[in-house]
Amino acid sequence: MSFKKTMTTLIAGTVVTAMLLTGCAGKPAAPAAGEAPAAPEVKYPEKALEFIAPAGAGGGWDTTIRTVAKTLQDTKLVSVPMPVTNKPGGGGGVALAYLEEKKGSDSIVTVYSPPLILINLNGSTPLGYKNTTPLARLIADYACFVVSKDSKYKSITEVMDALKKDPKSVKVGGTSAAGSMDHLQFLKIAKAAGVENVKEIAYISFQDGSGPAQVMGGHVDLLSTGIADAKGLMESGDLVALATTADKRIGEGKIAEIPTCKELGIDATFINWRGLFGAPEMPEHAVKFWQETLKKMSETEEWKNACKSNGWDNTFASGDEFVKFLEQENENSKMLLSEIGMLKQ
Amino acid sequence: MDVILQNLMNGFQVAFEPINLFWVTLGGILGTIIGMLPGLGPATGVAVLLPMTYAMGPTGALITMCGVYYGAMFGGSRSSILINTPGDGAAIAATFDGYPMAMNGRAEAALAISAIASFIGGMIATVFMIFLATPVARFALKFGPAEYFLLMLMAIAMTSSMNKGNVIKGFLSMFLGLMIAMVGLDPQSGVNRFTFGSLELQSGIDFLTVIIAIYALGEVFKCFKDIREGTKKMQTKFGKIWITREDWRRTWKPILRSTPLGFLIGALPGAGGTMAALMAYNNEKNLSKNPEDFGKGEIIGLAAPEAANNASSVGALIPMLSLGIPGSGTTAVMMGALLMLGLQPGPMLFQNHPDIAWGLIASMVVGNVILAIVNIPMAGALVRVLAIPPKILYPIILGLAFIGTYAISNSVIDFYIMIVFGIVGFFMEKAKIPSAPFILAIIVGNMMEISYRQALVISDGSMGIFVGSPIAITLLALTIGSVIMPIIKSMKKSRQGSSISMK
Repeated sequence: MSFKKTMTTLIAGTVVTAMLLTGCAGKPAAPAAGEAPAAPEVKYPEKALEFIAPAGAGGGWDTTIRTVAKTLQDTKLVSVPMPVTNKPGGGGGVALAYLEEKKGSDSIVTVYSPPLILINLNGSTPLGYKNTTPLARLIADYACFVVSKDSKYKSITEVMDALKKDPKSVKVGGTSAAGSMDHLQFLKIAKAAGVENVKEIAYISFQDGSGPAQVMGGHVDLLSTGIADAKGLMESGDLVALATTADKRIGEGKIAEIPTCKELGIDATFINWRGLFGAPEMPEHAVKFWQETLKKMSETEEWKNACKSNGWDNTFASGDEFVKFLEQENENSKMLLSEIGMLKQ
Repeated sequence: MDVILQNLMNGFQVAFEPINLFWVTLGGILGTIIGMLPGLGPATGVAVLLPMTYAMGPTGALITMCGVYYGAMFGGSRSSILINTPGDGAAIAATFDGYPMAMNGRAEAALAISAIASFIGGMIATVFMIFLATPVARFALKFGPAEYFLLMLMAIAMTSSMNKGNVIKGFLSMFLGLMIAMVGLDPQSGVNRFTFGSLELQSGIDFLTVIIAIYALGEVFKCFKDIREGTKKMQTKFGKIWITREDWRRTWKPILRSTPLGFLIGALPGAGGTMAALMAYNNEKNLSKNPEDFGKGEIIGLAAPEAANNASSVGALIPMLSLGIPGSGTTAVMMGALLMLGLQPGPMLFQNHPDIAWGLIASMVVGNVILAIVNIPMAGALVRVLAIPPKILYPIILGLAFIGTYAISNSVIDFYIMIVFGIVGFFMEKAKIPSAPFILAIIVGNMMEISYRQALVISDGSMGIFVGSPIAITLLALTIGSVIMPIIKSMKKSRQGSSISMK
């Protein structure tokens, strides 16, 4: 019967489509942990790798790891498939737990930035950077502080003066959670500018990314954000950047016109570094491969162009240098968090 | 005006290039299929496309991704109507009257009106976008945390009080949903709430898991007895996928009313299609002379939310295109893709890349026409799902439910959550507690709490901020009205009823 036929085709079609779609969205076959051969001359990588973005699609982590995967593929530095899986949750904590589960695996590569340290110190997760294998720091992004074009504040000094009189007088918005990056980067600068009681500064977190709209609508006075996140609205003139946290002028065009906090007499910087990490106890051969490959990648034209279009600083560091850097970051963040009472011991 | 038309003509040139026609068709059809499958919404669909977009170039990528987005709005209601399982949050409202219509033997008309309403909603909203994008974006800026809180409060209050007969049960359902929304990391202070030490629960309970559980599993549980005994009725004869003249006469006004509503709500970052569809539904129910027909297969109750959710998917592009701010989960993924392709979404997009921006808008006009043409014959094949013997159909639904749940965050814990909520949904159904307020509360509960606390931080603890602007006062008044009106109505009715029985 033709009708029965249609029906069967339909069912088969639906199931196959469903499987195809979920297959694409799903992760590749889980790598067998601890399967790494002991021989020193090992051919690596042989099978598909698992690249993880510890947040949803579209954010900074996601963009970074996808750009890495694309560059490695385009430059033929890595020839096995590198599918990116998103493991959002807990500000990166869910992916950290996954890494811990896959201890010893040689095929997982993920990306992190300052929140890796902050979510551990503020008590969101017991896991931290010590529960990973640091591979390399790749890039640095900087923070900037923006106001609406009709704001009464024309410079970061004016903002700081207002805060010195009354720490509650300027409402600061940001994208990350309270006690995480956007919050801390502003407090660090405010503290350096001589504002006392930085703890009392009102910080409002807009984690859905609506921060720029909120500052344009006048609902908050200032937005503490990444340069890339407000670039379009700065170029159109709707938002005005008062200062960046870089140690020198960066970027081109309007971005290069933004003064640094240092120039304005506030002696502090904040770097939003991003680096790649493997699962804890990643085998030696894999660590070596990635340190070398990522170094090569950071020197390619493709990577330099990607950095330029995203406004990233190419700041490669690996091995001991990277680990020392992480330790230093950890100490600095500890001090700042304890000052605002968000440090969990 | 001339400039706009000129740009639009150029846009159509881009949209009519064969390769772009191909992309918009592909995106639309892919979106329709993704929308139909429970658990896979437009955000997942666009994310799946990400690796492909590198090869497409910015114009092709944007056109395809948008096609997936509004295609999913077309498709989402298919499974709502046929198997009472919404493909995505925005399609929940389509179960209220769509499924009863199918049960009454009017599945063909239901599928047709949903495609027609989606088409009209999408088309008119695209026209709005061409002429009103900037003023609408500026209006949306007036919404601060306090206004968002009140908007969401209004949406859940309206949805809870529309429950036929029993307002208390509606609010009970809403409060249960708000409780579920509390699970996870406290967004302000980062404290764990009701996570019982589980890292997976830190990010909260995904509303998609709950939707799949309540609807797909709920439907299977509900029909279990009939399925086993083979007494569940099947439809074997199918008519043409079209509506009667009478249907059209009754629905065109609701469609036209719901479109601007959906468009405006979509343009507010974060509000989204679910709220748009439910508000359109409530609105039509309030305006109707026979509100008691809603929920029993009233065609207006299907047409209105369908027009609204398509319009909202167009509106949601406004914050992205004109401000560079994601208006929804889906547009957040799209923005990520654009940045990787070297395009900066935001006000400069129209100046620096007019061909891409206007090409996209023109492609949306083309895409809506293509989707309408594709969807009607597709519905003709899909409607035959109703002829599948329940013993085959329901295991497939169960399988899809599990696949969809796993696809949300690749986590096995979600299976347990789904089963628990399936059982919760079954008992809610038994106790005649409506599920819509429950689900809407889970969707907006978290954002409501965040907005409330943001508002209070801004005002330094003063409640005055909730009556601090004309928009806030209007929203508050509408909220109070929506709660009081049904109570007054039912009191009037019971008074009439009692006076009759006195005689």
